[in-house]
Amino acid sequence: MKPPAFNRTLRQLVALPILLLLILASFLLWQIQATARAQRELDHSDQVTAKLQELQNLFIDQETGLRGFQLTGDPVMLAPWKAAASPIQSRFGDLQQMLAADADQETRLQDLQRRYNEWLGFADAVLHQDAAALNAARMNQRGKEMMDGIRAVAKRMQQHESNLREARFRHARWLQRQELVSLLLSVFIVGAVLAFFTRHHVRAISVSYLRRIADITQRSEELYESQQWFQTTLESIGDAVIACDMDGRVAFMNAVAEKLTGWSLVEAKGQSLEVVFRIIHEQTRQAAENPVAKVRRLRKVVGLANHTVLIARNGHESVIDDSAAPITSGLGDMIGVVLVFRDVTEERQMQSALVASEKLAVAGRLAASIAHEIHNPLDSVANLHFLLDQETNAEKRAEYLRLAQQELGRTMQISRTMLSLYREPKAPIEIQLRDLVDGVLLLLDRRLQHQGVRVETEIADSLTVEGFPAELRQVLTNLIVNAMDASGPKGRIRIRVQRAEATELRGIGALIDIADSGPGISPDAVSRLFQPFFTTKGANGTGLGLWVSMGIVQKHGGSIEVGSSDDPGLTGASMRVYLPARTFAGVPALSA
Amino acid sequence: MPTILCIDDEALGLQIRRAVLERAGYQVLTAVDGPGGLALFRKEPVDGVVLDYYMPEMDGGAVAEAMRRERPEIPIMLLSAYINLPPEVVQLVDMTLLKGEGPLELLEKLRLMLRSEGSSPGRFS
Repeated sequence: MKPPAFNRTLRQLVALPILLLLILASFLLWQIQATARAQRELDHSDQVTAKLQELQNLFIDQETGLRGFQLTGDPVMLAPWKAAASPIQSRFGDLQQMLAADADQETRLQDLQRRYNEWLGFADAVLHQDAAALNAARMNQRGKEMMDGIRAVAKRMQQHESNLREARFRHARWLQRQELVSLLLSVFIVGAVLAFFTRHHVRAISVSYLRRIADITQRSEELYESQQWFQTTLESIGDAVIACDMDGRVAFMNAVAEKLTGWSLVEAKGQSLEVVFRIIHEQTRQAAENPVAKVRRLRKVVGLANHTVLIARNGHESVIDDSAAPITSGLGDMIGVVLVFRDVTEERQMQSALVASEKLAVAGRLAASIAHEIHNPLDSVANLHFLLDQETNAEKRAEYLRLAQQELGRTMQISRTMLSLYREPKAPIEIQLRDLVDGVLLLLDRRLQHQGVRVETEIADSLTVEGFPAELRQVLTNLIVNAMDASGPKGRIRIRVQRAEATELRGIGALIDIADSGPGISPDAVSRLFQPFFTTKGANGTGLGLWVSMGIVQKHGGSIEVGSSDDPGLTGASMRVYLPARTFAGVPALSA
Repeated sequence: MPTILCIDDEALGLQIRRAVLERAGYQVLTAVDGPGGLALFRKEPVDGVVLDYYMPEMDGGAVAEAMRRERPEIPIMLLSAYINLPPEVVQLVDMTLLKGEGPLELLEKLRLMLRSEGSSPGRFS
C-alpha cells in the first residue's frame, strides 16, 4: 500500500463511522419526533374529551338551575345557570380552536352550539313567562327534548373523540414498537457495517505493513549485496580505478590502482589526488593537469592528454591511457570524480615493435627491387670484366671500360637512393614534394613496369612541406604499392599533388591524391582500413602499412581520407593525404 | 655451334651478355621482351634459351611456360636478379642463375645444360 492509499484508508476509517452515526441519529430523531407527534395527538384527544365533559357538566348545571327556577320561581335557583353561562362560551371557544382541523367534529360542534343556542332561546322564553306557565308539562317536555338532543350530539362527539383516541393510541404504540425495532435493527446494521469495514481496512493496512517490512528487509539485503557486488567488481576490474570527492581527496582505489600508484587504499584515503596520482607529460616531463580540476571545470568525461606518464610512489614510471568522469548524485549534482586508467607501457612497446616490423617488411619489399636494380648492372660489369680480360683490341677495351663505368655509376646511384631512404634527419626539414614523389617512383619503377601499370603525375611546382622525408617516402611507397596491387596488370594510377588552401579545420599545406583504376574499396573495408593487421592481400600483406602510414601522417599533423576520383577511368579508391606546410612533429616517435 | 636465344629487357646487359656468349663460341639471338623472344623461338632453330625472369608485361615464367608447351625438349636457363623466384617457375626450367654470379658460372651452367639436353627439367637447378 502506497502512502496516498494508506492516508485514504485512514480517512475512511474515521469518516465512515461518523457518517453512519449521523445517519443513525437523524433516523432516530425522526422516529422520536413521529412518536412525540402521536403522543401530542393523543393528549389532544384527551383534552377534547375533557372539554366536552366539562361542557356537558356545565349544561347540566344550567339545566338544573333552570329546573330549580321553574319549580320554585325563586331567582336564587338561577345562580348555577348564570355561573355556567360564561364558562360554556369559553369552552365552546376552546373546542372550536381544538377541532379546527377535524371537519366532522367541527360540524358536530356547530350543531351542538346551534342546539345550545336554541335551548338558550327556550330558556329565555321560560325565564320571561308566568309562574303558572313555568311548570307546564308541555314546557318541561320541550326543554327535556332539546337538552336530550344536545346531550346526544355531545355524546356523539365524545364517542368520535374516543374512537379517534383509540386509533391514535394504537398508532402511538405501533410507532413505539417500530422505534424500538428500528433502533435495534439500525444499531445492528451500523455495527455490522463498521465491523466489516474496519476489519477489512485494518487487515489491508496490516498486510501492507507486513509487506512493506518484508520489502524493506529484502531491499536492504539487496542493497548490501549490490554494494558488495560493485565493490568486488571495482576491486577485480582490469583497469585502475580511483574515486575522489569534490575536493580532490582519494575516497577509493582498486587493487590495480594500488599497484600502479604504489599507494595502498588505507594510506591513500583522504590524501590529495596530486600526491597519489602523480602524472607528467611523457616527452616534456612537465606536470600534467590535475584531472579532478579539469572534470570540475568541464563537468563532463575527459580523456586525459596523450603521452601521460604516471610516477608511482617508488619512482617507477608507466605510460597510461586514462579518462576521468564526474560522479553525479541522483539529483544531478556533481559529488566527485572517478579516474579510470591502465598501463599501456607494454602496448606502446608492442606498437613500436609493430611499426618496426612494418618498416622491415617495407625494407624487404624494397630490397627485392633494389637487389634487382643492383644485380643487373653488377651482372653487366662482371660480364664486361670477362670480356676485357679476353679482349686485345684497344678500342673495344675502351668501350667495355666505358660501359662498366656507366653500370657502376648506376649501381652507386641506386645505393645512394636506398641509403637516403634510411637516413633520417633529427628534426623536420623542408621537402620538395616533386622530388619526394619522383624518388619513390624511381624505386618502384621496375615493379610498376613489371605489372604494366601506367603512372600519371600532376605535381604542382615548388610545393614544399616540412617533415621527415624517409617516413613520408614510406607513406607514399605504401599508398602507391596499394594502388598498384589494386589496379592490377595494365592498370592506371594518377598521382596529383596540389596546394591545399587553409580551411577552418586545417592550415595551408599540400594535398596528395593517389587514385587507381582498381575495383575500389568496400565500405566495410574502408572502416577498418587503418586498423593494424587489416589486409585485403591475404598472406601477401602485413596489414600494417596503412596503420603505420596513418601514424606517420598524423604525426606530421596531416590526415588520410578515402574517397573516389572525379576521373571516370579511375574507378578505384582515391587516397587523399593532407600534409600541413608547417609540422609540429618533434622527434620521430614512430621510428623504431 | 649451338644457337642460344637470349631474352632480357635490359638492353645494355643483353648486348654485353651476347658478346660474352659469342666469345665463348655460341650463335646468339636476342630479344628485349617475352613476345619477341617467343617469335624467334618459333622461327629459328634454337638449342637453348637464356631467359630473364623480371620483365614488364610478360615475365620469364610466362615465357618459359609457353616454350615448354611448344617445344619441351629445348633447355631453358632462367636468369634473375631476384633471389626469391616462385617455386613453380623454378620447377619449370632446367637451370637458374642469379645475375651477378659472373660469366664463368653462366658459361659453365650453359655447357652443362646443353650437354644433357633432353634430360628431365629442373635436374641442374
